[in-house]
Amino acid sequence: MNTTEITLKLTEIFRQVFSNHLLELTNELTSNDVNGWDSLSHMLLINEIEKSFSINFKLKDLNKMKNVGALIIIIEEKLNNK
Amino acid sequence: MLSFNYRHATLKDVPFLVDTIIEAEKSGTNILTYSTIFGLTEYEARLYITKMFQEEIDGCELSVSSYMIAEYQGQFAASVGAWIEGYDGIPSNIIKGNLLNYILPRKCIEKAALLTSILNETHIECFQNSIQIGVVYVANEYRGMKLAGNLIDRQILRLTEINPKISDIFVQVFGNNTPAIKAYENSQFSVILINEGSNKKVQQYLPSDRKVLMKRNLKT
Repeated sequence: MNTTEITLKLTEIFRQVFSNHLLELTNELTSNDVNGWDSLSHMLLINEIEKSFSINFKLKDLNKMKNVGALIIIIEEKLNNK
Repeated sequence: MLSFNYRHATLKDVPFLVDTIIEAEKSGTNILTYSTIFGLTEYEARLYITKMFQEEIDGCELSVSSYMIAEYQGQFAASVGAWIEGYDGIPSNIIKGNLLNYILPRKCIEKAALLTSILNETHIECFQNSIQIGVVYVANEYRGMKLAGNLIDRQILRLTEINPKISDIFVQVFGNNTPAIKAYENSQFSVILINEGSNKKVQQYLPSDRKVLMKRNLKT
């Protein structure tokens, strides 16, 4: 799966979790930019990403993710190491 | 007058920090959000909160490093959890969400998924590079002895030593907690925002359908 495919799949997950069908992902996007991105919705977001991509994040990976761009890089690494 | 010892929390204090979280979550009611949102018994909630503290992740209410404790003759009397919001570039709600996802069983996460639209309405964002007073707890027998205020002052001193440019301190309180709101007002905090959920079902899951944001400015 390449970066574009990952971004497309992630966009669907974000739109579903945040109930916002107009949400567009950019590498710079953070929780400050999305309405309703609190601890509970973040927990659900990560859970959905893990299920959809069939991956499991390590806690130290999660706590390095400062924006969506960093999230995409970590997903790519996880998928490449499968 | 009792003489209290004030100190930073360590991993050995986790059982008391778990009490702190449980009592703060209840906010003077019998509603424990870990039970209503995640379907956990209080015993299970204590186990998972303990595990989250033991991960030793900094920067949120589930971080041992956020806490200072007051004790009297070796007995825990009070604790306050506070941190600099987004100090390492990641907001506290994201750090907490990561811990919840990592530690809680999948069935708990799926139960919570059904409630996000109701619970989201009372959410209040934290301000980057401000001090967040996240959790305050004083054991019953030590109330009225200014322990919370003394611990908050020590936290402010500790955190402004890390970042001297900080000027704002925020605290979020459930709207039902009138004694806490009055205590903060007496400590120079002012109410700047009240978020009220439109769906009254929220009262089944949270101690109140209102969240109150209070602010104190250190420079005034």
